[in-house]
Amino acid sequence: MTEPIKRAWKGHWVATERDRKNQRLIVIWTLAWVIPFLVADAVIDNGWIENDLATYAIVSVVTLIGVAVLFAFGRFLRQADELMRKIQLDALALTVGVGIVAGFSYTLLAGAGLVDQAEAMTLVMIMTITYVVGVIAGYRRYA
Amino acid sequence: MKNRLKVLRAERDWTQARLAEALEVSRQTVNAIETGKFDPSLPLAFKIAVLFEMRIEDIFDPDGSGD
Repeated sequence: MTEPIKRAWKGHWVATERDRKNQRLIVIWTLAWVIPFLVADAVIDNGWIENDLATYAIVSVVTLIGVAVLFAFGRFLRQADELMRKIQLDALALTVGVGIVAGFSYTLLAGAGLVDQAEAMTLVMIMTITYVVGVIAGYRRYA
Repeated sequence: MKNRLKVLRAERDWTQARLAEALEVSRQTVNAIETGKFDPSLPLAFKIAVLFEMRIEDIFDPDGSGD
């Protein structure tokens, strides 16, 4: 592995040691959110729990962990290296823009009966891909 | 925005990594500022001025382009 690739792999690209620590926390919190989310999704989809109160409790726990992810990301952004923050905010702005435009366009198509009713997961996937593309574009821009 | 960061750093024989460490930013941030791709925030500009013991306007020239 060449030195630039090694450095990028180790996260030296636009990241201070504090950024890397905060990024690790985001990954940990995200995993702590995604795994219970998938479990809750399976439990609800398969109707393993019929008690509404239990369903509310499960969804509440997943939501609270999701809020913790938001706090972790907020902390990362506040403490991030200036260039890192700019790249992240540009990518987030692009993501919100694409999410809104795609969401409304899909709603129009669905209203016209040209596509099936939009699923929230489709929009989440579009926004996730847009965010990743935005971050990569930012890294390339300031390389 | 144009700046003299690269010249000032070279005069002191500092690497980008050393300057980045002193400013508590990434080396890529220093590089992006030097190449004019990125304009630093006011607090970082002050930090740079203090580090080089110069006035901000002696380091940064507003006539130029950047983000």
